[in-house]
Amino acid sequence: MSRNSPPRSLPGRLWDFLTSIRLTVTLLLILAVVATLGTVIPQNEPVARYLVSFGPRWGPVLLRLGLHRIYDGPWLLMPVALLSLNLLACVIRGLPEAVRRVARPFTLEAALQLPLRGQFTLPARVNPETAVLPALRQELGRLKVSNHPGRQVYYWESGRFRPLGPYLIHLSLFLILLGALVGKFLGVEGRLAILTGETATEFTLAKGKGSVPLGFTLRLDDFRVEYYGGTATPREFRSDLTFMQDGQEVGRAACRVNHPVTFGGLTFYQSSYGSQLAGPVRLKVCKGQECHTLTVGQRRGENLPDGQGQVMLVRVDANFQGLGPAALLAYREASGGDQPQLFWIPARHPELARRLQTPFYQAGPHLFTVEELPLKFYSVFQVRRDPGVWWVYAGFLLCLPGFVLAFLRPSQRLAVVLEQSPKGHWQGRLLGASPRAREVFQERVDRLLMHLKKGTAV
Amino acid sequence: MISQVLGLVTLVYLTAAGIFLAATLWSSRRLEAWGRWALLAGLAAHLGAFFGRWLESYRHASQFTPPQDLGATLSLVIHQVPLSNFFESLVFFSFSVSFLALVSFRRHLKGALAVVVALLACLILAYASLAVDSSIRPLMPALKSNWLLIHVLTCFIGYAAFALAFGAALLYLWQTRRSKANPIAPPPELERLMYRAVALGFLFLSVGILTGAVWADSAWGRYWSWDPKETWSLITWFIYAGLLHARLVKGWQGRRIAWLAILGFAAVLFTYFGVSFLLPGLHSYL
Ligand code: HEM
Repeated sequence: MSRNSPPRSLPGRLWDFLTSIRLTVTLLLILAVVATLGTVIPQNEPVARYLVSFGPRWGPVLLRLGLHRIYDGPWLLMPVALLSLNLLACVIRGLPEAVRRVARPFTLEAALQLPLRGQFTLPARVNPETAVLPALRQELGRLKVSNHPGRQVYYWESGRFRPLGPYLIHLSLFLILLGALVGKFLGVEGRLAILTGETATEFTLAKGKGSVPLGFTLRLDDFRVEYYGGTATPREFRSDLTFMQDGQEVGRAACRVNHPVTFGGLTFYQSSYGSQLAGPVRLKVCKGQECHTLTVGQRRGENLPDGQGQVMLVRVDANFQGLGPAALLAYREASGGDQPQLFWIPARHPELARRLQTPFYQAGPHLFTVEELPLKFYSVFQVRRDPGVWWVYAGFLLCLPGFVLAFLRPSQRLAVVLEQSPKGHWQGRLLGASPRAREVFQERVDRLLMHLKKGTAV
Repeated sequence: MISQVLGLVTLVYLTAAGIFLAATLWSSRRLEAWGRWALLAGLAAHLGAFFGRWLESYRHASQFTPPQDLGATLSLVIHQVPLSNFFESLVFFSFSVSFLALVSFRRHLKGALAVVVALLACLILAYASLAVDSSIRPLMPALKSNWLLIHVLTCFIGYAAFALAFGAALLYLWQTRRSKANPIAPPPELERLMYRAVALGFLFLSVGILTGAVWADSAWGRYWSWDPKETWSLITWFIYAGLLHARLVKGWQGRRIAWLAILGFAAVLFTYFGVSFLLPGLHSYL
């Protein structure tokens, strides 16, 4: 708005506010700051963590302001909503004009009204067509021609659809934002963990908002992790699923990372996995020649059969350091000090127990090996229904032609007008315009003029 | 073998920078052209090394999982594109810098700008070869996606374009500070090259973010999870969107745009390095 325009009504002022680029830049800045805060302050942690890391003074302030859930709260939602309005308002304001500009054909009259960029003369005896056409064709390609006795006009246009580019981009961003809001308010998102062989009929919503029924029964038939031979790097996780309705099997599918499975409107993504004990662990404990079998449960202290020590099973792992299943044991010898020894016992590699400087080393005097380590996998899925995702994808698709038009198709218009003077020589004028790509255009004009003037010398 | 070739490429880029410097000092057009040829030669060898690494990475993976049919072979080839760890990303970043400089600046690649660009490509590659672990590791399951190729490719071409814009912006600021006499490259041209690079980078970064979202959607079940890397790439994108509007709609030019290009590149660097080293997240492998 220029300063001396008459004062506007309230709706008018609101409209100006919503269509202003200053609002856009301010909002982008605010979003950048909010997003930055979210990467600096850990998000969605338990409340106590904030009180510990930020102290009794700032911790509560931070929680009160909702900075621990910045991406779900008004800090992000408000500017995003306003930006959506801003985008929509800009599209409404500018699109009709852009469409009108594109729809208007590039006529001879329009060509003749382009601003003058340069002049040249051709002697009377040359054929103007053979003098200028090769240069024009080489630089521009196909031309429109208007031929009258005494006047020839060649005119050319490129990037006619350029004005639509930015609007396609803005519209697509609006679609994406809308889709995100739709997904946020109308979609559901949660997690589901199932043990192999068991079934589930409901899943847990994200952020502790209770659970929802699946609407069917899901059974995890099998879960497998494949490793790159001999390493602890997993190559593939795979869950074999069976879908059941009213006790009847209605479908089967394998869910892998990058290969989600959809059933009954819900999509399941292989998210993580784990293993848990399916029963007590049996160990063999030897002291010298004397061996016993010992059964241990998780996190329960157990006296050794000879009464000369205590052990506790701390953890199990299905593939510790690429060596297969292993149990982490805490062991204290009766006559030893207060510090228990901690070591892993790999079920398939008992020989490692004597290797110094490894997590497997057992100092003795007892020597432990695994007799039975019954593990059962559980698989964790991300579960989602998102009606907004198609809006988002539509936005993605729409913005690609928008980018191409906006950045790769600068609009340029050029015309060469040749008029014969009473004396018989040809007076040439180069006309043209390119409002959004002046410099590239100027280069082209200079190149063309050079060629056209060379044509003169023929 | 590949590391030797990369070492050689580093030297060629350094040589190109030297030739460009000499060309500037003696205002020699012929030396300028030679500099561009040297850069092109380095680029060709660089491309060779890239494909060599691809082959090696493919061989490595096919030891573990020999592909059974043509489809499996093809998808293994795509998954093993050497863009999956920090070292490989740096090598490709350096490649994109010199490639884009030649393609997007073409005849304008001369003077101080050419020196800066060649040095940039050389330094990135030297850093990759000397300071970063270059071993080939098997891919974790989330990385085995056809989107990896297009996502990382577009992101890094975008970063490289922003690096070029950064170089142009630095020179522009430096030259408009000094007295107007004898500018090494005329500032309006630099300003235009800077804008062109930013527009190109914005295009690629946008596609990079979109493909990343599509990939995340199929791998994690969310197209956007506010992971630090995602968030910072969005911040970067906001800054460049601001730059484009400031220039196109508000008519800003010159030094203010140059400062924005520098701010934007700082965000790029943070997205690339800062996030990996300072902030934990899903993207920690790259
Ligand atoms: C994140 C948000 C936005 C992005 C990524 C974006 C992107 C773009 C791009 C890429 C262009 C083309 C620039 C060029 O050719 O150099 C553009 C132009 C433009 N944008 Fe935006 N935009 C955004 C928001 C907005 C908003 C909210 C408004 C409304 C105030 C707006 C108004 C304009 C205008 C007026 C143009 C110039 C159109 C023309 O060339 O005719 N933009 N935008």
